[in-house]
Amino acid sequence: MSEQLPATTNLPATPREEGSVDTAGIERLDVTVVVPVQSPEAEIEDVAEALSAELEHSGKSYEILYVFDGVTGAAWKSAQALLKRSGSRVRTISFKNAFGESVCLSAAVERARGRYIVTSPQYVQVDPHELRAMLSALDAGADFVTPWRHPRVDPLLNQLQSTIFNALIRLIIRGPFHDLNCYFRAIRREVLEDVAIYGDMYRFLPVIAFRQGYKIQEVKVRHLKEWGAAGFFGLGVYARRALDVLAVMFLTKFTLKPLRFFGTVGGLFVLSGLAVGAFLAWRKYWHHEPVADQPLFFVGVMLCVLGVQIVGFGLVGEIIIFSQARNLREYRVERIWE
Amino acid sequence: MERPPSPRVSVVVPIFNEQENLPLLQRELEAALARLEHPAEIVYVDDRSTDGSLRVMQGLRRADPRVRIVRFRRNYGQTAALAAGFDAARGDIVVTLDGDLQNDPADIPALVAKLDEGFDVVAGWRKQRHDSFVVRRLPSLAANRLIAWVTGVPIHDTGCTLKAFRGEVVKRLPIYAEQHRFLPVMSRGSGARVTEMVVNHRPRLYGHSKYGLGRMVRVALDLLTIKMISQFSQRPLHYFGLLSLLLLGLFTFVAVLGFLGLPYAPGGLSGPERWGTAVLPICLLGLTIVMYFAMLGLLAELAVSASGMHRRSAIDRLLNELH
Repeated sequence: MSEQLPATTNLPATPREEGSVDTAGIERLDVTVVVPVQSPEAEIEDVAEALSAELEHSGKSYEILYVFDGVTGAAWKSAQALLKRSGSRVRTISFKNAFGESVCLSAAVERARGRYIVTSPQYVQVDPHELRAMLSALDAGADFVTPWRHPRVDPLLNQLQSTIFNALIRLIIRGPFHDLNCYFRAIRREVLEDVAIYGDMYRFLPVIAFRQGYKIQEVKVRHLKEWGAAGFFGLGVYARRALDVLAVMFLTKFTLKPLRFFGTVGGLFVLSGLAVGAFLAWRKYWHHEPVADQPLFFVGVMLCVLGVQIVGFGLVGEIIIFSQARNLREYRVERIWE
Repeated sequence: MERPPSPRVSVVVPIFNEQENLPLLQRELEAALARLEHPAEIVYVDDRSTDGSLRVMQGLRRADPRVRIVRFRRNYGQTAALAAGFDAARGDIVVTLDGDLQNDPADIPALVAKLDEGFDVVAGWRKQRHDSFVVRRLPSLAANRLIAWVTGVPIHDTGCTLKAFRGEVVKRLPIYAEQHRFLPVMSRGSGARVTEMVVNHRPRLYGHSKYGLGRMVRVALDLLTIKMISQFSQRPLHYFGLLSLLLLGLFTFVAVLGFLGLPYAPGGLSGPERWGTAVLPICLLGLTIVMYFAMLGLLAELAVSASGMHRRSAIDRLLNELH
């Protein structure tokens, strides 16, 4: 059931699984649980046990799909053991190299048989009982159910960081996002087939789905533990979060209008450069100070140059967008009454 | 339901929370379309209204089989609604119209007749506007003057939604990101014959206006884009080349001024000894910008040729000249 992808090519378009039926004959299931495995210490057995107990109880047909993101070792061994024991309930995909969670998810979606996709971290992060509430939210018509760990069990400083991050995102997007960093999500399959997942999109999946017009619902879940929960986030995490906020802002507000972003930023630079110049001119006329032999003069000139360059980037961005505009569909139609 | 004959004219109306206006709009549209000699259809694009607009539209559709409704999954704005309407339209002629009754559907037959004179795009011109002067008309006047001056397309009123397009023109245009006001400019860029016509403009009856002041910066930035895209999208290098030549001229001017000095200027501006030191770095950095823009132009050229867009547009242009 497992397959090895060649390291050079990214992903084949169709699954090449031994003994699988052709696409038309594939058995449809209710739920596919996708677990991207990114560490050899992943708690494969625990995840399977916790989730299958809950899924059995709910009476839905399901499968668990482990995606090994270039990971071997203990996790791989325990997955193989699990595979033998549980038959077609458990499947694995493995990459030769690490491609990241986004690629894991899109590979899994291509092969998943379930109507609903549940993504789970590689350890039991939240109470598996919450799965029931999440799936019934999907049954009730939501397209994407995102968890909100409440209350949380990780260090207070981390919680504070996360709260600020999510509050900023809410401010920018105006959507119901309190906890973007928990990946225990339940998603309707069509959403994942429609939304392009690449790069760092895995984290922002709810945001992107929300922007595409899908119905997002947040469900409060009980937080059990955090992977390596003892430590505080390092400085690197804070830097990445700041970049994340910038990325979301750019992606959601300015993807189609790069010049509005670059033009505003560049314009501010030019304006501040001109302000410095005006200040220097004032000093020259009223205090007769020379202009060119002070550092401030160079700061002003450089600010102007930088500003103009940033505007230039925006213009190239516009050209790129325009040349791709035929492939961009800005809107999603719910229904047409002919 | 009896299928109406396949339409020649499609009227596209973006709808956002217009439940009071809709029945009246439909009555006026029916009266106007009756005066057309072509079969027509009405495409309402529901931009995810939050009032009862959808229900009203469904009622209208039951009464009139020419009505079609496109409903969005969420609110995407007027440009997207128009784009969806263009995609859904089946007629050779597409007329766009505001849903708030400020445009008069009675103008439609005249617009279509104008199109039949051999134009590809006819833009409405609200010569007598019934909006508040400071908030709506003054910014609009300034924006339109600026747009006409920069793009060289002499349209008085780009903001008017009442426009008529030849179907093949509008289906070819990439429409995205709040660009509907630039549609005539864009189509002119791809070779279409654009004209304008005075249309009736009426005060609002129900509902309230959906946009306000603070758009000037955005319009200005968009204008820079439109100028580039409509006239230089086939050869961005020219655009960037012109920009860098402009800058080169500016810096040459600064350099000449700096080294020669202003002989009669007050204060310390008179001698080269004081300004010379400042002029040199300014000019050097200016030259880096000139180089930088030339490089950006090459990059843009690369993006355009990689997309294969320029080849397709050349064919479009040729077809347009033939027909």
